[in-house]
Amino acid sequence: MDFHVKPGEYDAINYIPHTESHGTKELWRTFWLLLGITILDFVIYFVMPATGLRNFIFIFFGLVKAYYIVGAFMHLKHEKINLALIILVPTIFIVGLIMGLLYEGNALTWVK
Amino acid sequence: MANHTPAAFENQPMWAGGRSPFNVSYGKLMMWIFLLSDAFTFSSLLVQYGAQRFSNVESAVTTVWPDPASIFNHFPFMHGLHLPLLFVSVMTFILILSSVTMVLAVEAGHRNSKKEVQTYMIYTIIGGVAFLSCQAWEWYTFIHEGARLYGNTFGITEQGYEHLHSVSFGNHFEWALGDRTDGPVPFAALFFIVTGFHGFHVFSGVVINVVVYIMTVRGVFERRGHYEMIEKAGLYWHFVDLVWVFVFTFFYLI
Repeated sequence: MDFHVKPGEYDAINYIPHTESHGTKELWRTFWLLLGITILDFVIYFVMPATGLRNFIFIFFGLVKAYYIVGAFMHLKHEKINLALIILVPTIFIVGLIMGLLYEGNALTWVK
Repeated sequence: MANHTPAAFENQPMWAGGRSPFNVSYGKLMMWIFLLSDAFTFSSLLVQYGAQRFSNVESAVTTVWPDPASIFNHFPFMHGLHLPLLFVSVMTFILILSSVTMVLAVEAGHRNSKKEVQTYMIYTIIGGVAFLSCQAWEWYTFIHEGARLYGNTFGITEQGYEHLHSVSFGNHFEWALGDRTDGPVPFAALFFIVTGFHGFHVFSGVVINVVVYIMTVRGVFERRGHYEMIEKAGLYWHFVDLVWVFVFTFFYLI
């Protein structure tokens, strides 16, 4: 890659949409939220007995954290909806994979 | 860049419609597509872990999946103490913090503030290196305890289970004879493969961040007129953080 691009030359080839700062308020709020949920994870780990409910809470918290990382940090919340959709809709396949392989994993217990 | 373009496309706009239908540049769109494919890779690894673990829930005692609290209970400079989940929480905190400094660098880039971008990129790189160091220590301890790719000595007997749960957080803990036995073989292998694959991503992220930092210092983005490259590096870095959220959940919490 040519590191010494003249001003404007790069943009003529690669369309770069104008971006502007939204400030840091949302970013810090997201940080405190992620930190809070992680601390809550830590507390629940010791307070609650290891049950299916606790696992459900951990996975739910994981999804909440994922939402804030992708939405705020990766800026997907503020992108155009069609970009968000082409990224998020294919993750349905992951859900299918999880269901399929948990079913298979359960079947393996009978084989053993 | 223009001299690498085939003649027919020279002086043509990137998007035939004149602008990106997704309102992002080609590079950023491709970074998103790459991250989507990487998400599939990681989820297949994690789902394999889930299937292996699910198949070892209710069989004979010796094949019961090891309790992560009984293995990852060490903390540097606190030898012999039972501190489950503490070290990995610190690692998570480091990664979240470096994610924030990364996004602050992106924000500074939007304001074309070269100095701030440099500062925050340095913080991010330090965070990444700190995380990798923590992971190296974690691996070292795990291997020292007997973890191998092809075996698992972390199976826990009923006696060991009772022993472990009689020790409270922060107290001295040592395995007694008959506490441990051979466990399900894929346990350590899956740990090494998944955290190793994630660690390799962190390593790549640190390398990318260093390259981007050098480019910032040399004023490449200043001449270019925008700091979009920081955003692309940032997307990758946040993805690494995102994967860690799930590694943390499935390997340590559950």
